[in-house]
Amino acid sequence: MGSLVLSLLLAAPAAPPAGPPLRVASLNLTADELLVEMLPADRLVAVTRWADDASMSNVAGRVPAAAVRLPRADLERIIALRPDLVVVSEYTDADFLRLVEKSGLRYHRMSGLDTFPGIRAAVVDLGRAVGTPDAAARLTARFDAVLAELGRRLEGSPRPRVLYWGDPHTAGAGTAIGSLVEAAGATNVGREMGLRGIVPLAGEKAFSAEPDAFLVTEGSGASVALRRHPLLSRTRAVREGRVVEMPNRLLVALSDRAADAAWWLASRLHPARVPHAAPPPTLP
Amino acid sequence: MSERNRRRLVFAALAVSLPLVLLAALSLGSVALPAASVVRSGLARLGAFGPSPLPEMGEVILWSVRLPRVLIAALVGGGLAVVGAALQSLFRNPLADAGLLGVGPGAALGAVLAVNLGWAQQRFLAMPLAACAGALLALLLIYAIAHAGGRPTLSGLLLTGLAVSALAAAGTSVLLVAVEEFRVRTVLFWLAGGLEGRGYEHLALAAAFVLPGTLVLLLLARPLDVLSLGEEEATALSLPVHGVRILVFGLCALVAGPVTAVAGAVPFVGLVAPHALRALVGPLGRHLLPASFLAGAVLVVVADLAARSFGQYVELPLGSVTAFVGAPYFLLALRGQEGRG
Repeated sequence: MGSLVLSLLLAAPAAPPAGPPLRVASLNLTADELLVEMLPADRLVAVTRWADDASMSNVAGRVPAAAVRLPRADLERIIALRPDLVVVSEYTDADFLRLVEKSGLRYHRMSGLDTFPGIRAAVVDLGRAVGTPDAAARLTARFDAVLAELGRRLEGSPRPRVLYWGDPHTAGAGTAIGSLVEAAGATNVGREMGLRGIVPLAGEKAFSAEPDAFLVTEGSGASVALRRHPLLSRTRAVREGRVVEMPNRLLVALSDRAADAAWWLASRLHPARVPHAAPPPTLP
Repeated sequence: MSERNRRRLVFAALAVSLPLVLLAALSLGSVALPAASVVRSGLARLGAFGPSPLPEMGEVILWSVRLPRVLIAALVGGGLAVVGAALQSLFRNPLADAGLLGVGPGAALGAVLAVNLGWAQQRFLAMPLAACAGALLALLLIYAIAHAGGRPTLSGLLLTGLAVSALAAAGTSVLLVAVEEFRVRTVLFWLAGGLEGRGYEHLALAAAFVLPGTLVLLLLARPLDVLSLGEEEATALSLPVHGVRILVFGLCALVAGPVTAVAGAVPFVGLVAPHALRALVGPLGRHLLPASFLAGAVLVVVADLAARSFGQYVELPLGSVTAFVGAPYFLLALRGQEGRG
């Protein structure tokens, strides 16, 4: 028994293979979207089940058929796929990651996705981790071009004050949604109020902030909740119909598609400057 | 059948059941591993019967993921059941369990704090250690408050535990409301109980408290039997009633706290196992406590196997599985007790 315990405690995970990973498993939707763009189909062995969900994913219908759709982060199933790289998110538990390591698997953790420069850096890092830096450069070139063109069009335009409303959560500083609002040529009211992170906001405070527009997730019921709210229904933004319902796949896009999301939001907030919901196809 | 033979039969059944359910839990899961291969892999690790027949992937799943999880499940179940049995003797109430101690809400507060501050994502073992610290702090607080006005009665100890639990639960609610939505999932999974992502370090943390705590509780079986007769009778038999009560209460909390820290809330195990066994092995601690440990271990290993086998999109919370079994049992036991009363 003693030797069994000793061999368990001393068991070292297998050494990771040298060279770029040939079997990559993704455990988060952002990585799903990026890896579909970056990797040849035969190197992507697993994605999350969300990748095929058109309401959440920007690559629905384009995920290689051979890639396993993981219903959950089931480590036993992941090990059985024999990936040589597992891509996890910033929010993955440290305890789970230790177990991944102890199982002899290498992982890449995506982080810094709460700002646009952070998203750009994460795309570059992921490209390096999976051995396709050129594909990552192609994605960041388009990302930069879309944001540059958006910035050019919005130059000198007054910035509407936008409050994200997740009934009752809002987005303060240090959030991807806050960064999205700012990138779309608006001021994030949550940040203006001194909030940080995705935090609950009392209706009275939201009411007294008097935003120019509310941003809500399409189909979430937040728009209906706003119109029924005893206080917020009386804000000018709600009374005058300035409630922007954004498709969830864009609102939660933390991949290169975040630039497209900013463009989409700008088209709703600045229709005279950005008349179309998608960037022009002439961009790289 | 005589009481003695029945007791022997129950112990034999439990002693056979535990290795069988452990083997089943090691074999079944997302990736099925043949039971014979699991046994031969174990023997291979001991240097007997040649190499393991499992492929490398199966070896990794068995030894790195499944074994620590299954052993933790056994420790969690055994520990909670012994605590339940000890508390039922202490409080002279067959429906008492670790929920009375107040350490669960303390552990929850520690765990939610660790998630809220981002420690759970950044530091290995941060969440179970914070939960463990929360449980032990709650225990110290209960002890300090209860003793502030002199030697507390049993009901005073219980009511203090309830008040500290309510405070900790209020703190947990405040933190839960403020936690970032991406982190809510981590908290909810912990609060609902579960063993996903637990490894040997979690096993060591649980074992460090559960094994010695359980052993001392087993050694206290006789004083517990005397206590269950009533305070006057125990005093008449020269038992230091207050000292033994505090010792048992503290030991129970020291076992239940780390168990909760590692596995989250796993309700009803401490109630069902000893309550069901009392009728079979009798009320004496020297029989009831070890039998409860074995039965609790069997119960949670099976519950964990069910939790990871039935949910396709999410693993079922272990606490929900034990509650699905335990709550109806609790209601039946309550009705039975009322009927007798």
